[in-house]
Amino acid sequence: MNRLADILFFVLVFLLQVIITDYLHLGAFIYLCLIPFLILNIPFSRRPQLVLVAAFGMGLTLDLVSDGVAGLNAASAVAAAASRHLLYRSLVNRDRQDKTEVPVPDVIGMAKYLKYAGAATAVYMAVYVLFDCVSFRPLGFMLLKFFASTVLSTGLGMLLMLPLQKRR
Amino acid sequence: MRSRYGFISALTTAILFLFLEAASVVMMINNGAIQRFKLVGAVRHVEAGIWGRTQQVRNYFNFRSENERLSAENLALRQQLALYEKAAAALDSHVVTVTPDFTYIGAKVIRNSVNAQHNYLILDRGSDDGVERGMGVITDRGVVGIVGAVSRRYCYVNSLLSTGQSASAKLVASGAFGPIHWPGVSPDRVLLQEIPVHIQAAPGDTVVTSGFSTIYPPDIPLGVVAGTRIIQGSSQNIDIQLFEDFRTLNNVYIVRNNAGPEFQELYEQAR
Repeated sequence: MNRLADILFFVLVFLLQVIITDYLHLGAFIYLCLIPFLILNIPFSRRPQLVLVAAFGMGLTLDLVSDGVAGLNAASAVAAAASRHLLYRSLVNRDRQDKTEVPVPDVIGMAKYLKYAGAATAVYMAVYVLFDCVSFRPLGFMLLKFFASTVLSTGLGMLLMLPLQKRR
Repeated sequence: MRSRYGFISALTTAILFLFLEAASVVMMINNGAIQRFKLVGAVRHVEAGIWGRTQQVRNYFNFRSENERLSAENLALRQQLALYEKAAAALDSHVVTVTPDFTYIGAKVIRNSVNAQHNYLILDRGSDDGVERGMGVITDRGVVGIVGAVSRRYCYVNSLLSTGQSASAKLVASGAFGPIHWPGVSPDRVLLQEIPVHIQAAPGDTVVTSGFSTIYPPDIPLGVVAGTRIIQGSSQNIDIQLFEDFRTLNNVYIVRNNAGPEFQELYEQAR
């Protein structure tokens, strides 16, 4: 039952992401992305290689079904997945023995979760903006896009994920 | 033993990470519009079928405004035709065979992106309808893009709203011409570049296609001057407010240049 709820949760959020990417046009400076939140919700007990492949699959699927350049979300998702352990240890809990399976706000606290999710989204957006804009966009544009997208994606992710997580 | 296992696990994770990032980058590098079309051709084919159906519903609700626009366009074309008929009737009995420089294929947009750095459209016309790679796509209110790839029933168009695309345009008032590029910010604005500084361009001046490329016919209205900026004292970039709203594109024309093969032959002779 729990597994079914997990799968439904992933499918729902992913579908929402596809709808956002395809139909919610907020201009060149903003890219809303919930994929980092999906990556953070993969339990820590899963093998890191599996998490990387899952993140790559999610990113690439999003690229293929939306207007994205193939590989753009995939590269960003892999970077976010690779950094989640490091972010968790440095921002949430330095104790290597911590056994938290999925760090949700109810367990680690709202402020720490916000920092953790915000940092993962920042990693995602840094790679995304770099690959999307480097060499033909000015640095100011890239920075603005990075900050606006990170803040808004984190905010939207928190708004959407909290009720969903409570239902799980 | 445990630390050895941990080391191997970390090493494989790092290698996998590098491999997946490299794979993503390779995909992006090879992700020219045509390659992307080929890579995800199957996905696009299915998507195009689905979007084609949803577009039918959307078109139903847009019929009134679309019909009004088409009626106005038809009227203008008929008036032009009447002029030509009158002129033809005035000719003496010499028989003149005229082949138009450009012929047009009407198409409907079934997929359109305006929000990425490299935007594209999918049209419901393909090789079965005579569409070929490299043909231009226009509306009566501007240039839309260039056909990048063609399947039997659909074609993929590299939108003018892509950072690598350009078209040749000129200021109606002065005749000065240069390339237009999309700067990647707003789907309503493009830049007309390489205009000499002595050319005066006032806000509201009309910009049209120059006809200096073999892709787009001349004198298609593109937009109006919104502002100018001098670049390094030698030329100016002119900000153009487009007439066409890419977000509401529905009916377009695919343009065949009948003189294209002849131009190509000339280029090859000159080489």
